[in-house]
Amino acid sequence: MTGNQGLVWLARRETLRVSKLWTQTVLAPVVSSLLFILVFGLSLGERIRQVSDVDYEVFIVPGLVAMAMVQAAFANNASTIFQARSDGYVNDVLSAPMHPWQVTLGYLVGGVVRALAIGVSLAVAAIVLVGVPVREPLALATAVILVVVLFSALGTVVGIYAETWDHTTFIANIVILPLAFVGGTFYTIDLLPSPWEELSHFNPVLYLVSAVRHGFLGTADVNIWLALGVTAAMTVPAYLWAQYLFTSGKRLKS
Amino acid sequence: MFRDDAPALETRGLTKRYDDGTLAVEGFDLTVPAGAFFGLLGPNGAGKTTLISAICNLIRVTAGEVLIFGEPAASLEARSWVGLAEQDINLDRFLSVRETLVYHGGYFGMPRAEAEQRADEMIDVFDLRAKERVRAPKLSGGQRRRLLLARALMHHPRLVILDEPTAGVDFELRQELWRYIRRLHDEGTTILLTTHYLEEAETLCEEIALIRDGRLIARDSAANLRENYSAATLADVYVKAMAG
Ligand SMILES: Nc1ncnc2c1ncn2[C@@H]1O[C@H](COP(=O)(O)OP(=O)(O)O)[C@@H](O)[C@H]1O
Ligand SMILES: [Mg+2]
Repeated sequence: MTGNQGLVWLARRETLRVSKLWTQTVLAPVVSSLLFILVFGLSLGERIRQVSDVDYEVFIVPGLVAMAMVQAAFANNASTIFQARSDGYVNDVLSAPMHPWQVTLGYLVGGVVRALAIGVSLAVAAIVLVGVPVREPLALATAVILVVVLFSALGTVVGIYAETWDHTTFIANIVILPLAFVGGTFYTIDLLPSPWEELSHFNPVLYLVSAVRHGFLGTADVNIWLALGVTAAMTVPAYLWAQYLFTSGKRLKS
Repeated sequence: MFRDDAPALETRGLTKRYDDGTLAVEGFDLTVPAGAFFGLLGPNGAGKTTLISAICNLIRVTAGEVLIFGEPAASLEARSWVGLAEQDINLDRFLSVRETLVYHGGYFGMPRAEAEQRADEMIDVFDLRAKERVRAPKLSGGQRRRLLLARALMHHPRLVILDEPTAGVDFELRQELWRYIRRLHDEGTTILLTTHYLEEAETLCEEIALIRDGRLIARDSAANLRENYSAATLADVYVKAMAG
């Protein structure tokens, strides 16, 4: 009895949930991000022309891809765990012969798979439609992994703490979305006047958007190592937090 | 390793105080021999579900120890030996009947082919063939209860725990369910049952524990309980024990 079989089946279950609901979980976010790219990029692109030496419609793609993945990973895990808790079927997993790290990882997979499905679809569409380059694939892959794990883990944590459904959407709409808007998704922070430029450096989303943008465009607001480092410095504790909750049973078991 | 010379269940000094201060189970010492058909009786709020949740790692226990066939209840091995049907139906709303069974088998370490085959068996036993591809929220109450029981039995547990399995279940299904559980018991499976139907407990259970306010107040065969309480039926025993 190692529990690895259980881990695989839990990961499969989380992936099945994403695929059963694929129009909501994957298609809808891809379409809405594409609309952003087309509408914002192509309409504003006429006026703004170049940002950081690339066309505006190209400039905004990495940030939009990152944000679509962030929101999907978070929402997916927050809702799958909240649902499992409120219907009580999380008990089928909690009583199963699995180690807490296996349960943490198994639940994480849904958010990761969903976010990657969205990210890859959007990236392919953007490469075809607006000719976005992929200049540093290795940096891009690293950034994407860190980002999706970070927000899947945060989703898990919020799904475990949430007392109502509204708590999960509250965090998504009141914390993540605003930070994304001011995190350099739509502009480079060089363009901001003081003190906004300096303040932007305290926004964690800036670093992950920068890391992803660097992967695509080979340049971003923040140095790639700093961007990856700051992102990793958030990912690791978020993951450990999720695992701690499964290990201690806090909020999952009364 | 599985040892059948150890009791199926042993709790020592088991105590659970919920975060709001409720002392639901206190200093509970209970031994259920391997192969027993064991009934846990007590009024609502006596602590039956709490006790079961402690056995199945679903609550954080305050103090005490739980052993399943001699292994700590939290160990992976002990967990794999227990099958639980909770009092409140808790089926995964995204899974069909078949998936519910197969995924549960997977969580409990069954290889896919074996899980598929066992799921087929359970689907037939619990008469769910017509609903195989239907998701839990679309099932009737009776079908959900049957699926819940099928899921509990899916991974061939050696200790089956049924928390009020027949609450709100019609007569026919109850008869069928007991026929099947009896057969399991005859094959050597240990059954731990809570129920409100005292006649049911009297006819089925070899041994009965009475709990009140989180404490064990008596534990014996139905016949001995009747004798000790000078009562004609188990129902009379129950009334006397709970009043005393
Ligand atoms: N999650 C919980 N938090 C606080 N108190 C609880 C909780 N679950 C049960 N209780 C209390 O613990 C006591 C035992 O409940 P329970 O184990 O459900 O009894 P039974 O299953 O015998 O009806 C009751 O007083 C109940 O209100
Ligand atoms: Mg109960």
